[in-house]
Amino acid sequence: MSDFLDTLSVLILLSSFVLMANKRIKSYIETFRIQSLLIALVAGIMGVDSLLTEGRFDILVVCLLIIILKVIYIPALLHRTYVNVKYKVEKDFILNIPILIIVCCGLVVFSYFTLATVDGLNESIFNIQFVNSVSVIWIGLFFMISRKKAIGQIIGFLVIENGLYITAMLSTQGMPFIVDLGISIDLLTAVMIMGLMVFRINEKFDSIDTDQLNNLKG
Amino acid sequence: MNSMIYILVQILVIIMAAPLVNGIIKKIKALTQKRKGAPVFQMYFDIYKLLQKNSVVSEVSSWIFKVTPYIVFTTAIAAALLVPVSTKLITQQIPGDFIMLVSILALGRFFMMAAALDTAGTFGGMGSSREAMISSLIEPSILVSLFTVGLISQSTSLPQIMNAVQNTGVPLLHPVYIMVFLALLIVIIAETSRIPVDDPSTHLELTMVHEAMILEYSGRHLALMEYGAAIKQLTFITLLVNILIPSDQLIGFTGIGALALSLVIYLLKVVLLSVIIAIIEVNTVKFRLFSIPNLAALSFILAFLGILQYFILGGSHV
Repeated sequence: MSDFLDTLSVLILLSSFVLMANKRIKSYIETFRIQSLLIALVAGIMGVDSLLTEGRFDILVVCLLIIILKVIYIPALLHRTYVNVKYKVEKDFILNIPILIIVCCGLVVFSYFTLATVDGLNESIFNIQFVNSVSVIWIGLFFMISRKKAIGQIIGFLVIENGLYITAMLSTQGMPFIVDLGISIDLLTAVMIMGLMVFRINEKFDSIDTDQLNNLKG
Repeated sequence: MNSMIYILVQILVIIMAAPLVNGIIKKIKALTQKRKGAPVFQMYFDIYKLLQKNSVVSEVSSWIFKVTPYIVFTTAIAAALLVPVSTKLITQQIPGDFIMLVSILALGRFFMMAAALDTAGTFGGMGSSREAMISSLIEPSILVSLFTVGLISQSTSLPQIMNAVQNTGVPLLHPVYIMVFLALLIVIIAETSRIPVDDPSTHLELTMVHEAMILEYSGRHLALMEYGAAIKQLTFITLLVNILIPSDQLIGFTGIGALALSLVIYLLKVVLLSVIIAIIEVNTVKFRLFSIPNLAALSFILAFLGILQYFILGGSHV
Protein backbone atom coordinates (compact mmCIF):
# COMPACT_ATOMS: atom_id res chain seq x y z
CA MET A 1 0.00 0.00 0.00
CA SER A 2 2.88 2.32 0.77
CA ASP A 3 4.09 2.01 -2.82
CA PHE A 4 0.71 3.11 -4.11
CA LEU A 5 0.77 6.11 -1.80
CA ASP A 6 4.32 6.96 -2.94
CA THR A 7 3.21 6.93 -6.56
CA LEU A 8 0.05 8.87 -5.82
CA SER A 9 2.02 11.52 -3.93
CA VAL A 10 4.32 11.92 -6.94
CA LEU A 11 1.30 12.24 -9.20
CA ILE A 12 -0.19 14.91 -6.91
CA LEU A 13 3.11 16.81 -7.09
CA LEU A 14 3.07 16.37 -10.86
CA SER A 15 -0.47 17.75 -11.07
CA SER A 16 0.67 20.92 -9.34
CA PHE A 17 3.47 21.24 -11.92
CA VAL A 18 0.90 20.77 -14.68
CA LEU A 19 -1.20 23.47 -13.03
CA MET A 20 1.80 25.78 -13.13
CA ALA A 21 2.30 25.05 -16.84
CA ASN A 22 -1.33 25.79 -17.69
CA LYS A 23 -2.29 29.01 -19.38
CA ARG A 24 -6.06 29.14 -19.24
CA ILE A 25 -8.39 29.58 -16.29
CA LYS A 26 -10.58 26.70 -17.47
CA SER A 27 -7.61 24.34 -17.43
CA TYR A 28 -6.62 25.60 -13.96
CA ILE A 29 -10.01 24.48 -12.74
CA GLU A 30 -9.77 21.11 -14.50
CA THR A 31 -6.28 20.44 -13.14
CA PHE A 32 -7.44 21.33 -9.65
CA ARG A 33 -10.29 18.86 -10.08
CA ILE A 34 -7.82 16.12 -11.09
CA GLN A 35 -5.56 16.92 -8.15
CA SER A 36 -8.50 16.70 -5.76
CA LEU A 37 -9.50 13.39 -7.34
CA LEU A 38 -6.00 12.04 -6.65
CA ILE A 39 -6.27 13.21 -3.04
CA ALA A 40 -9.65 11.52 -2.75
CA LEU A 41 -7.99 8.38 -4.09
CA VAL A 42 -5.33 8.60 -1.36
CA ALA A 43 -8.07 9.03 1.24
CA GLY A 44 -9.96 6.12 -0.28
CA ILE A 45 -6.96 3.78 -0.13
CA MET A 46 -6.21 4.78 3.47
CA GLY A 47 -9.89 4.52 4.36
CA VAL A 48 -10.23 0.99 3.03
CA ASP A 49 -7.02 0.06 4.80
CA SER A 50 -8.19 1.43 8.16
CA LEU A 51 -11.61 -0.18 7.70
CA LEU A 52 -9.99 -3.56 7.18
CA THR A 53 -7.42 -3.30 9.96
CA GLU A 54 -9.10 -1.20 12.68
CA GLY A 55 -12.77 -1.12 11.63
CA ARG A 56 -12.82 2.70 11.35
CA PHE A 57 -14.88 4.07 8.50
CA ASP A 58 -14.46 7.82 9.14
CA ILE A 59 -11.67 8.19 6.54
CA LEU A 60 -14.02 6.81 3.91
CA VAL A 61 -16.53 9.49 4.91
CA VAL A 62 -13.76 12.07 4.52
CA CYS A 63 -13.03 10.65 1.09
CA LEU A 64 -16.67 11.07 0.12
CA LEU A 65 -16.60 14.62 1.50
CA ILE A 66 -13.54 15.45 -0.63
CA ILE A 67 -15.23 14.09 -3.75
CA ILE A 68 -18.42 16.05 -3.18
CA LEU A 69 -16.71 19.27 -2.14
CA LYS A 70 -13.44 19.52 -4.04
CA VAL A 71 -14.07 17.38 -7.09
CA ILE A 72 -17.63 18.44 -7.83
CA TYR A 73 -18.86 21.51 -5.98
CA ILE A 74 -15.90 23.95 -5.79
CA PRO A 75 -14.78 23.48 -9.42
CA ALA A 76 -18.39 24.00 -10.53
CA LEU A 77 -18.59 27.14 -8.37
CA LEU A 78 -15.36 28.51 -9.81
CA HIS A 79 -16.49 27.68 -13.31
CA ARG A 80 -19.73 29.56 -12.77
CA THR A 81 -17.78 32.53 -11.44
CA TYR A 82 -15.51 32.42 -14.47
CA VAL A 83 -18.42 32.30 -16.89
CA ASN A 84 -20.11 35.27 -15.24
CA VAL A 85 -17.02 37.48 -15.26
CA LYS A 86 -17.08 39.63 -18.38
CA TYR A 87 -13.38 40.34 -18.64
CA LYS A 88 -11.77 37.31 -20.29
CA VAL A 89 -8.26 38.18 -21.46
CA GLU A 90 -6.50 35.16 -20.07
CA LYS A 91 -2.76 35.67 -20.13
CA ASP A 92 -2.12 36.42 -16.50
CA PHE A 93 1.24 35.11 -15.36
CA ILE A 94 4.14 37.33 -14.36
CA LEU A 95 7.03 35.36 -15.89
CA ASN A 96 7.08 32.93 -18.79
CA ILE A 97 6.13 29.34 -18.09
CA PRO A 98 9.53 27.55 -18.41
CA ILE A 99 11.01 29.93 -15.82
CA LEU A 100 8.04 29.42 -13.49
CA ILE A 101 8.45 25.65 -13.80
CA ILE A 102 12.17 25.76 -13.13
CA VAL A 103 11.53 27.89 -10.02
CA CYS A 104 9.03 25.23 -8.89
CA CYS A 105 11.68 22.63 -9.45
CA GLY A 106 13.96 24.63 -7.16
CA LEU A 107 11.15 24.69 -4.57
CA VAL A 108 11.00 20.89 -4.57
CA VAL A 109 14.75 20.67 -4.03
CA PHE A 110 14.44 23.33 -1.32
CA SER A 111 11.74 21.43 0.55
CA TYR A 112 13.78 18.24 0.27
CA PHE A 113 16.83 19.83 1.88
CA THR A 114 14.89 21.79 4.52
CA LEU A 115 12.95 18.74 5.62
CA ALA A 116 16.12 16.70 5.78
CA THR A 117 17.57 19.09 8.38
CA VAL A 118 14.49 19.37 10.62
CA ASP A 119 15.06 17.66 13.97
CA GLY A 120 12.43 15.34 15.33
CA LEU A 121 11.37 13.87 12.02
CA ASN A 122 12.26 10.24 12.19
CA GLU A 123 13.02 8.03 9.25
CA SER A 124 9.51 6.67 9.04
CA ILE A 125 7.97 10.12 8.59
CA PHE A 126 10.70 11.68 6.48
CA ASN A 127 9.99 9.93 3.26
CA ILE A 128 9.04 10.54 -0.31
CA GLN A 129 5.39 11.27 0.50
CA PHE A 130 6.24 13.93 3.03
CA VAL A 131 8.67 15.78 0.73
CA ASN A 132 6.22 15.65 -2.16
CA SER A 133 3.25 16.88 -0.18
CA VAL A 134 5.19 19.75 1.42
CA SER A 135 6.37 20.71 -2.07
CA VAL A 136 2.74 20.95 -3.14
CA ILE A 137 2.23 23.63 -0.45
CA TRP A 138 5.22 25.62 -1.72
CA ILE A 139 4.10 25.35 -5.33
CA GLY A 140 0.58 26.46 -4.42
CA LEU A 141 2.03 29.50 -2.67
CA PHE A 142 4.19 30.29 -5.68
CA PHE A 143 1.24 29.74 -8.01
CA MET A 144 -0.72 32.29 -6.01
CA ILE A 145 1.93 34.99 -6.38
CA SER A 146 2.67 34.17 -10.01
CA ARG A 147 -0.89 34.81 -11.21
CA LYS A 148 -2.44 38.24 -11.52
CA LYS A 149 -6.10 37.33 -11.88
CA ALA A 150 -8.31 36.65 -8.90
CA ILE A 151 -9.49 33.20 -10.01
CA GLY A 152 -5.90 32.03 -10.45
CA GLN A 153 -5.16 33.21 -6.95
CA ILE A 154 -8.16 31.34 -5.56
CA ILE A 155 -6.88 28.18 -7.25
CA GLY A 156 -3.47 28.83 -5.67
CA PHE A 157 -5.15 29.05 -2.26
CA LEU A 158 -6.97 25.79 -2.91
CA VAL A 159 -3.74 24.08 -3.94
CA ILE A 160 -2.05 25.23 -0.73
CA GLU A 161 -4.98 23.77 1.14
CA ASN A 162 -4.71 20.53 -0.84
CA GLY A 163 -1.03 20.38 0.04
CA LEU A 164 -1.69 20.89 3.75
CA TYR A 165 -4.45 18.31 3.67
CA ILE A 166 -2.34 15.67 1.98
CA THR A 167 0.62 16.40 4.27
CA ALA A 168 -1.56 15.97 7.33
CA MET A 169 -3.20 12.86 5.98
CA LEU A 170 -0.02 11.11 4.93
CA SER A 171 1.92 11.93 8.09
CA THR A 172 -0.82 11.02 10.59
CA GLN A 173 -2.50 8.11 8.74
CA GLY A 174 -5.84 9.92 8.92
CA MET A 175 -6.74 12.93 11.06
CA PRO A 176 -9.62 12.97 13.59
CA PHE A 177 -12.91 13.28 11.80
CA ILE A 178 -13.97 16.54 13.42
CA VAL A 179 -10.75 18.25 12.24
CA ASP A 180 -11.36 17.15 8.67
CA LEU A 181 -14.92 18.38 8.85
CA GLY A 182 -13.85 21.75 10.24
CA ILE A 183 -11.22 22.24 7.53
CA SER A 184 -13.67 21.37 4.78
CA ILE A 185 -16.32 23.78 6.00
CA ASP A 186 -13.73 26.54 6.43
CA LEU A 187 -12.58 25.96 2.90
CA LEU A 188 -16.10 26.04 1.53
CA THR A 189 -16.83 29.36 3.24
CA ALA A 190 -13.53 30.86 2.07
CA VAL A 191 -14.13 29.90 -1.54
CA MET A 192 -17.69 31.20 -1.51
CA ILE A 193 -16.55 34.53 -0.06
CA MET A 194 -13.74 34.73 -2.60
CA GLY A 195 -16.15 34.01 -5.43
CA LEU A 196 -18.30 36.91 -4.26
CA MET A 197 -15.20 39.10 -4.03
CA VAL A 198 -14.35 38.29 -7.65
CA PHE A 199 -17.78 39.52 -8.69
CA ARG A 200 -17.35 42.71 -6.69
CA ILE A 201 -13.87 43.36 -8.12
CA ASN A 202 -15.22 42.73 -11.61
CA GLU A 203 -18.12 45.12 -11.09
CA LYS A 204 -15.98 47.92 -9.69
CA PHE A 205 -13.02 47.73 -12.04
CA ASP A 206 -14.35 45.92 -15.16
CA SER A 207 -11.52 43.42 -14.70
CA ILE A 208 -10.46 40.74 -12.28
CA ASP A 209 -6.82 41.77 -12.46
CA THR A 210 -5.90 42.30 -8.82
CA ASP A 211 -3.16 44.78 -9.78
CA GLN A 212 -5.99 47.22 -10.42
CA LEU A 213 -6.78 47.25 -6.71
CA ASN A 214 -3.69 49.41 -6.23
CA ASN A 215 -5.17 52.22 -8.30
CA LEU A 216 -7.11 54.94 -6.54
CA LYS A 217 -10.67 55.24 -7.63
CA GLY A 218 -12.70 58.36 -6.84
CA MET B 1 27.82 -16.09 -34.11
CA ASN B 2 25.64 -14.85 -31.32
CA SER B 3 26.15 -11.23 -32.30
CA MET B 4 25.35 -12.10 -35.90
CA ILE B 5 21.98 -13.45 -34.80
CA TYR B 6 21.44 -10.33 -32.69
CA ILE B 7 22.15 -8.01 -35.62
CA LEU B 8 20.04 -10.08 -37.97
CA VAL B 9 16.97 -10.21 -35.71
CA GLN B 10 17.36 -6.60 -34.75
CA ILE B 11 17.54 -5.37 -38.34
CA LEU B 12 14.78 -7.69 -39.52
CA VAL B 13 12.35 -6.74 -36.76
CA ILE B 14 12.97 -3.01 -36.62
CA ILE B 15 13.27 -2.44 -40.35
CA MET B 16 10.33 -4.61 -41.23
CA ALA B 17 8.06 -3.22 -38.54
CA ALA B 18 8.99 0.47 -38.72
CA PRO B 19 6.59 1.56 -41.49
CA LEU B 20 3.83 -0.48 -39.88
CA VAL B 21 3.77 1.85 -36.86
CA ASN B 22 3.06 4.80 -39.13
CA GLY B 23 0.39 2.77 -40.89
CA ILE B 24 -1.35 1.88 -37.62
CA ILE B 25 -1.31 5.46 -36.37
CA LYS B 26 -2.69 6.77 -39.66
CA LYS B 27 -5.38 4.08 -39.72
CA ILE B 28 -6.55 4.91 -36.18
CA LYS B 29 -6.64 8.60 -37.01
CA ALA B 30 -8.70 7.87 -40.10
CA LEU B 31 -11.10 5.65 -38.18
CA THR B 32 -11.72 8.32 -35.53
CA GLN B 33 -12.53 10.77 -38.31
CA LYS B 34 -15.04 8.28 -39.77
CA ARG B 35 -12.90 7.76 -42.85
CA LYS B 36 -11.77 4.42 -44.17
CA GLY B 37 -8.17 5.52 -44.46
CA ALA B 38 -5.22 4.13 -46.34
CA PRO B 39 -4.28 0.46 -45.80
CA VAL B 40 -1.98 -0.27 -42.87
CA PHE B 41 0.78 -1.30 -45.27
CA GLN B 42 0.56 1.86 -47.38
CA MET B 43 4.00 3.13 -46.37
CA TYR B 44 5.66 -0.04 -47.71
CA PHE B 45 4.05 0.58 -51.11
CA ASP B 46 5.09 4.23 -51.01
CA ILE B 47 8.68 3.41 -50.23
CA TYR B 48 8.77 0.70 -52.91
CA LYS B 49 7.42 3.15 -55.46
CA LEU B 50 9.80 5.93 -54.45
CA LEU B 51 12.82 3.65 -54.51
CA GLN B 52 12.24 2.96 -58.20
CA LYS B 53 12.27 6.62 -59.16
CA ASN B 54 15.22 8.86 -59.83
CA SER B 55 15.69 11.81 -57.59
CA VAL B 56 15.88 15.38 -58.77
CA VAL B 57 18.75 17.34 -57.27
CA SER B 58 19.03 21.10 -57.44
CA GLU B 59 21.97 22.48 -59.44
CA VAL B 60 23.01 24.86 -56.69
CA SER B 61 23.21 22.22 -53.99
CA SER B 62 26.49 20.71 -52.79
CA TRP B 63 27.55 17.19 -51.82
CA ILE B 64 25.86 17.54 -48.43
CA PHE B 65 22.45 17.40 -50.07
CA LYS B 66 23.25 14.15 -51.87
CA VAL B 67 24.96 12.40 -48.98
CA THR B 68 22.41 13.29 -46.29
CA PRO B 69 19.73 10.68 -47.07
CA TYR B 70 22.29 7.90 -46.73
CA ILE B 71 23.62 9.35 -43.47
CA VAL B 72 20.11 9.74 -42.05
CA PHE B 73 19.22 6.18 -42.99
CA THR B 74 22.43 4.62 -41.66
CA THR B 75 22.37 6.57 -38.39
CA ALA B 76 18.79 5.45 -37.87
CA ILE B 77 19.81 1.81 -38.40
CA ALA B 78 22.84 2.21 -36.16
CA ALA B 79 20.60 3.65 -33.45
CA ALA B 80 18.15 0.79 -33.93
CA LEU B 81 20.96 -1.71 -33.38
CA LEU B 82 21.68 -0.23 -29.95
CA VAL B 83 18.20 -0.83 -28.56
CA PRO B 84 17.53 -4.58 -28.22
CA VAL B 85 14.01 -5.63 -29.16
CA SER B 86 14.13 -8.51 -26.72
CA THR B 87 16.37 -9.24 -23.75
CA LYS B 88 16.23 -12.93 -24.63
CA LEU B 89 18.45 -12.04 -27.55
CA ILE B 90 21.42 -10.77 -25.59
CA THR B 91 23.94 -13.00 -23.95
CA GLN B 92 26.86 -10.60 -23.85
CA GLN B 93 27.47 -6.87 -23.82
CA ILE B 94 26.84 -4.87 -26.92
CA PRO B 95 29.20 -1.96 -27.62
CA GLY B 96 27.56 1.42 -27.10
CA ASP B 97 25.09 2.79 -24.58
CA PHE B 98 22.29 5.32 -24.49
CA ILE B 99 24.65 8.30 -24.64
CA MET B 100 25.90 6.92 -27.92
CA LEU B 101 22.31 6.37 -29.04
CA VAL B 102 21.45 10.03 -28.45
CA SER B 103 24.61 11.24 -30.16
CA ILE B 104 24.15 9.01 -33.20
CA LEU B 105 20.65 10.37 -33.67
CA ALA B 106 22.01 13.89 -33.19
CA LEU B 107 24.51 13.25 -36.01
CA GLY B 108 21.73 12.29 -38.40
CA ARG B 109 19.71 15.29 -37.34
CA PHE B 110 22.69 17.61 -37.84
CA PHE B 111 23.10 16.47 -41.43
CA MET B 112 19.39 16.75 -42.06
CA MET B 113 19.43 20.35 -40.89
CA ALA B 114 22.56 21.12 -42.92
CA ALA B 115 21.00 19.63 -46.05
CA ALA B 116 17.86 21.68 -45.56
CA LEU B 117 19.99 24.82 -45.43
CA ASP B 118 22.07 23.65 -48.39
CA THR B 119 19.51 24.23 -51.13
CA ALA B 120 18.83 27.73 -49.78
CA GLY B 121 15.08 27.26 -50.04
CA THR B 122 13.08 29.45 -47.65
CA PHE B 123 11.20 26.54 -46.12
CA GLY B 124 14.37 24.53 -45.55
CA GLY B 125 15.96 27.26 -43.47
CA MET B 126 12.79 27.73 -41.47
CA GLY B 127 12.40 24.01 -40.89
CA SER B 128 15.95 23.51 -39.75
CA SER B 129 15.87 26.46 -37.38
CA ARG B 130 12.69 25.07 -35.79
CA GLU B 131 14.13 21.57 -35.63
CA ALA B 132 17.25 22.92 -33.92
CA MET B 133 15.10 24.66 -31.33
CA ILE B 134 12.90 21.63 -30.61
CA SER B 135 15.75 19.14 -30.48
CA SER B 136 17.88 21.28 -28.18
CA LEU B 137 14.91 21.61 -25.84
CA ILE B 138 14.05 17.91 -25.89
CA GLU B 139 17.52 16.40 -25.65
CA PRO B 140 18.09 17.22 -21.94
CA SER B 141 14.94 15.40 -20.97
CA ILE B 142 15.93 12.25 -22.93
CA LEU B 143 19.30 12.20 -21.24
CA VAL B 144 18.05 12.97 -17.73
CA SER B 145 15.31 10.36 -17.92
CA LEU B 146 17.66 7.70 -19.27
CA PHE B 147 20.24 8.61 -16.63
CA THR B 148 17.56 8.05 -13.99
CA VAL B 149 16.92 4.50 -15.10
CA GLY B 150 20.67 4.13 -15.56
CA LEU B 151 21.26 5.16 -11.93
CA ILE B 152 18.80 2.56 -10.71
CA SER B 153 20.40 -0.23 -12.70
CA GLN B 154 23.96 1.05 -12.17
CA SER B 155 24.73 0.92 -15.86
CA THR B 156 24.43 2.99 -19.01
CA SER B 157 24.12 -0.01 -21.25
CA LEU B 158 20.58 -0.51 -22.52
CA PRO B 159 20.43 -4.36 -22.26
CA GLN B 160 21.57 -4.14 -18.65
CA ILE B 161 18.99 -1.47 -17.86
CA MET B 162 16.29 -3.64 -19.43
CA ASN B 163 17.41 -6.63 -17.41
CA ALA B 164 17.46 -4.64 -14.17
CA VAL B 165 13.97 -3.22 -14.68
CA GLN B 166 12.55 -6.73 -14.99
CA ASN B 167 13.18 -7.25 -11.26
CA THR B 168 11.05 -4.30 -10.08
CA GLY B 169 7.57 -5.73 -10.45
CA VAL B 170 5.28 -3.32 -12.28
CA PRO B 171 7.41 -0.27 -13.15
CA LEU B 172 4.44 1.92 -13.98
CA LEU B 173 3.31 1.82 -10.35
CA HIS B 174 6.74 2.90 -9.18
CA PRO B 175 7.20 6.63 -8.40
CA VAL B 176 10.46 6.91 -10.36
CA TYR B 177 9.54 4.91 -13.43
CA ILE B 178 6.17 6.56 -13.96
CA MET B 179 7.86 9.95 -14.19
CA VAL B 180 10.39 8.55 -16.67
CA PHE B 181 7.56 6.99 -18.67
CA LEU B 182 5.66 10.25 -18.99
CA ALA B 183 8.84 12.18 -19.84
CA LEU B 184 9.77 9.71 -22.56
CA LEU B 185 6.24 9.78 -23.95
CA ILE B 186 6.54 13.54 -24.50
CA VAL B 187 10.01 12.96 -25.95
CA ILE B 188 8.65 10.43 -28.45
CA ILE B 189 5.92 12.81 -29.53
CA ALA B 190 8.42 15.62 -30.06
CA GLU B 191 11.13 13.52 -31.68
CA THR B 192 8.87 11.79 -34.16
CA SER B 193 7.11 14.99 -35.24
CA ARG B 194 3.72 14.08 -33.86
CA ILE B 195 0.85 16.48 -33.40
CA PRO B 196 1.30 18.77 -30.42
CA VAL B 197 4.76 19.64 -31.74
CA ASP B 198 4.55 19.12 -35.50
CA ASP B 199 1.90 17.83 -37.88
CA PRO B 200 3.22 14.95 -40.00
CA SER B 201 0.29 14.93 -42.42
CA THR B 202 0.30 18.49 -43.74
CA HIS B 203 2.55 20.70 -45.77
CA LEU B 204 1.24 23.96 -44.35
CA GLU B 205 4.15 26.37 -44.25
CA LEU B 206 3.19 27.85 -40.93
CA THR B 207 3.36 24.60 -39.03
CA MET B 208 5.69 22.13 -40.71
CA VAL B 209 9.03 21.27 -39.16
CA HIS B 210 10.16 17.86 -40.35
CA GLU B 211 8.31 18.14 -43.65
CA ALA B 212 9.93 21.51 -44.33
CA MET B 213 13.37 19.95 -44.06
CA ILE B 214 12.71 17.12 -46.50
CA LEU B 215 10.70 19.26 -48.89
CA GLU B 216 13.44 19.40 -51.55
CA TYR B 217 13.93 15.65 -51.69
CA SER B 218 12.37 13.33 -54.23
CA GLY B 219 12.56 9.75 -55.43
CA ARG B 220 15.09 7.44 -53.77
CA HIS B 221 16.37 10.15 -51.47
CA LEU B 222 12.89 10.89 -50.15
CA ALA B 223 12.28 7.19 -49.57
CA LEU B 224 15.47 6.94 -47.50
CA MET B 225 14.61 10.05 -45.48
CA GLU B 226 11.10 8.84 -44.67
CA TYR B 227 12.25 5.34 -43.92
CA GLY B 228 14.96 6.76 -41.64
CA ALA B 229 12.37 8.80 -39.76
CA ALA B 230 10.16 5.72 -39.35
CA ILE B 231 13.08 3.65 -38.02
CA LYS B 232 13.98 6.42 -35.58
CA GLN B 233 10.39 6.47 -34.35
CA LEU B 234 10.33 2.71 -33.81
CA THR B 235 13.68 2.91 -32.02
CA PHE B 236 12.26 5.36 -29.50
CA ILE B 237 9.10 3.29 -29.08
CA THR B 238 11.25 0.19 -28.49
CA LEU B 239 13.25 2.07 -25.89
CA LEU B 240 10.08 3.05 -24.06
CA VAL B 241 8.26 -0.29 -24.16
CA ASN B 242 11.27 -2.42 -23.34
CA ILE B 243 12.43 -0.30 -20.42
CA LEU B 244 9.11 0.66 -18.87
CA ILE B 245 6.75 -2.16 -19.83
CA PRO B 246 9.10 -5.14 -19.40
CA SER B 247 7.60 -8.52 -20.16
CA ASP B 248 10.53 -10.89 -20.68
CA GLN B 249 10.62 -11.91 -17.00
CA LEU B 250 7.24 -13.57 -17.50
CA ILE B 251 8.71 -16.07 -19.95
CA GLY B 252 10.18 -18.78 -17.82
CA PHE B 253 12.01 -20.89 -20.38
CA THR B 254 14.87 -20.05 -22.73
CA GLY B 255 15.79 -20.95 -26.28
CA ILE B 256 14.33 -20.17 -29.65
CA GLY B 257 10.73 -20.52 -28.47
CA ALA B 258 11.24 -17.92 -25.75
CA LEU B 259 12.78 -15.56 -28.27
CA ALA B 260 9.83 -15.96 -30.65
CA LEU B 261 7.31 -15.47 -27.85
CA SER B 262 9.06 -12.40 -26.56
CA LEU B 263 9.19 -10.91 -30.05
CA VAL B 264 5.45 -11.44 -30.43
CA ILE B 265 4.84 -9.74 -27.07
CA TYR B 266 7.19 -6.95 -28.13
CA LEU B 267 5.20 -6.34 -31.31
CA LEU B 268 1.97 -6.28 -29.29
CA LYS B 269 3.50 -3.67 -26.98
CA VAL B 270 4.57 -1.59 -29.98
CA VAL B 271 1.02 -1.73 -31.35
CA LEU B 272 -0.33 -0.73 -27.93
CA LEU B 273 1.98 2.28 -27.74
CA SER B 274 1.14 3.28 -31.31
CA VAL B 275 -2.51 3.26 -30.33
CA ILE B 276 -1.71 5.47 -27.32
CA ILE B 277 0.24 7.88 -29.53
CA ALA B 278 -2.59 7.94 -32.07
CA ILE B 279 -5.12 8.68 -29.33
CA ILE B 280 -2.95 11.54 -28.06
CA GLU B 281 -2.63 12.83 -31.60
CA VAL B 282 -6.37 12.71 -32.19
CA ASN B 283 -7.21 14.45 -28.95
CA THR B 284 -4.77 17.35 -29.01
CA VAL B 285 -4.31 20.33 -31.25
CA LYS B 286 -0.98 21.49 -32.58
CA PHE B 287 0.73 23.97 -30.29
CA ARG B 288 2.02 27.31 -31.41
CA LEU B 289 5.76 27.13 -32.01
CA PHE B 290 6.44 29.31 -29.00
CA SER B 291 4.36 27.07 -26.74
CA ILE B 292 6.64 24.12 -27.43
CA PRO B 293 9.18 25.26 -24.78
CA ASN B 294 6.38 24.80 -22.21
CA LEU B 295 5.90 21.19 -23.27
CA ALA B 296 9.65 20.63 -23.30
CA ALA B 297 9.93 22.20 -19.84
CA LEU B 298 7.22 19.86 -18.59
CA SER B 299 9.04 16.86 -20.06
CA PHE B 300 12.31 17.96 -18.50
CA ILE B 301 10.59 18.48 -15.15
CA LEU B 302 9.10 14.99 -15.30
CA ALA B 303 12.55 13.55 -15.87
CA PHE B 304 13.99 15.75 -13.15
CA LEU B 305 11.28 14.77 -10.65
CA GLY B 306 12.08 11.16 -11.46
CA ILE B 307 15.76 11.61 -10.63
CA LEU B 308 14.82 13.59 -7.50
CA GLN B 309 12.48 10.85 -6.30
CA TYR B 310 15.34 8.42 -6.78
CA PHE B 311 17.51 10.48 -4.44
CA ILE B 312 14.70 11.01 -1.92
CA LEU B 313 14.16 7.28 -1.85
CA GLY B 314 17.85 7.03 -1.11
CA GLY B 315 18.53 4.66 -3.95
CA SER B 316 18.16 1.67 -1.67
CA HIS B 317 14.44 0.95 -1.90
CA VAL B 318 14.45 0.80 -5.67
